[in-house]
Amino acid sequence: MRCHLKNLRVAFGQVFADHSYIALASMLALLAFLLAVWFPNLGLLAQVFSGSNAPFKATVGMALSLLGGIGTNFSLLSASYTIAIAILFGITIAMIVYLVKQRRTAAAGQSIAIASGAVVSGVIGIGCAACGSLVLGVILPSLGAVGALAALPLNGEEFGILSVALLFVSLLLISNNIAEPITCGLARSKKIQLHQ
Amino acid sequence: MTLSSKLSKVIWAGLVLFATAANAQAVNRSALDAALIDQIKATVIKELRDSGEIDQAVDAGIGRYIERQRAQAQQREQRQVASQAAKLRPVSKGRDHIRGNPSAAVTLIEYSDFECPFCKRFHATAKQVVDESKGNLKWVYRHYPLDELHPVKARKEAVASECAAELGGNGAFWKFADRFFDLTPSNNRTDIDVVLPKIASEIGLDKAQFASCLASARHDSRVAEDVKDVVAAGGRGTPWSLIVSKSGKTYPLSGAQPYATVKQLVDLALLDK
Repeated sequence: MRCHLKNLRVAFGQVFADHSYIALASMLALLAFLLAVWFPNLGLLAQVFSGSNAPFKATVGMALSLLGGIGTNFSLLSASYTIAIAILFGITIAMIVYLVKQRRTAAAGQSIAIASGAVVSGVIGIGCAACGSLVLGVILPSLGAVGALAALPLNGEEFGILSVALLFVSLLLISNNIAEPITCGLARSKKIQLHQ
Repeated sequence: MTLSSKLSKVIWAGLVLFATAANAQAVNRSALDAALIDQIKATVIKELRDSGEIDQAVDAGIGRYIERQRAQAQQREQRQVASQAAKLRPVSKGRDHIRGNPSAAVTLIEYSDFECPFCKRFHATAKQVVDESKGNLKWVYRHYPLDELHPVKARKEAVASECAAELGGNGAFWKFADRFFDLTPSNNRTDIDVVLPKIASEIGLDKAQFASCLASARHDSRVAEDVKDVVAAGGRGTPWSLIVSKSGKTYPLSGAQPYATVKQLVDLALLDK
């Protein structure tokens, strides 16, 4: 684990030395956060921006006030993992872009697969944050899974926690690829040789 | 230079080349045909490309297409909201529980679940907005017990609130709701056998009549009606609210959103005359 954390530190130094990756990660994190908080009211936002006679300042004020929903429409746990998911998502995608630009697409593929799983899990986790919401109310009933979710100890918030874990694993894998892909493997094989 | 003058130049150049081509055809028609046509094509395309008019025309076309698509999407969205709002049962003083000025210009219709922690939070928000609205807003409370998340209890509590209304009128309903949200921890952790009679007696209802009303199940169908309404109108969780202006324009609000949002939506609805 110490080796993975070291790789993480090295990869961070390497990727975010270029400020454009910091900007990309921040922008993606912000977008993910906005989407998560506005998610239940995207229809309302579309309606207010397109179909109301309100002044532009009032409509923007309304959209910004909806961001206060992170404090009122989320539990402490779901607000924490929603913010964590947004930040980890931004960092992970920025690092995947770095890998792809280095033409190490094959290495990026595995991380993309895990990150995609994390995003799906995160959407379900965020959907379960309030009583109902879009995912719980629309998608899962068709799969007959609402009862199963309700049976979970945290009523589906487990998916949010799983999402954070998956994004973190994905981040570690990317870091290993960026830093020294074989460092950890070599250290292990040396140990084995010493024991023999 | 205008598009038409540029185009006429291009066409003129094309005609000159075509005339040259026609003369050449007399000498060796079949061999030159293809080459001349290619030359004409290349000249016309080059002229159009160099002028930049083609790019501008294409850009304008794409812009118009995007604008058309956006307008259609907005219309679809508005039609959907309007059709969902049309499915809602109209507010009636006899049937609904109304707080605030019954003839207020704006109506907040809330679909709520007594076991939902976010409904508990939103109850205080809605109360504050109505209290500060100076008679411009009325609050209508309807039931949406989420049986999958809060089995048995949420529906029983909704029925209990209807019993409070039956025995004590509109005022008793709101006293019951306020006290219930004050007292209970949400998420199906309420001991209903203790809490419901306790609230009934606190708000001055006859305990025996209240117990008999609860046992009779005569309000079950009313709660079921509310649930049917909200599902048809597009509600997918609680609290789910609709802010309706005097003209009937409807703004759906999902979740326990902050005071500022509700207040701004009410102000927005007040602008609709």
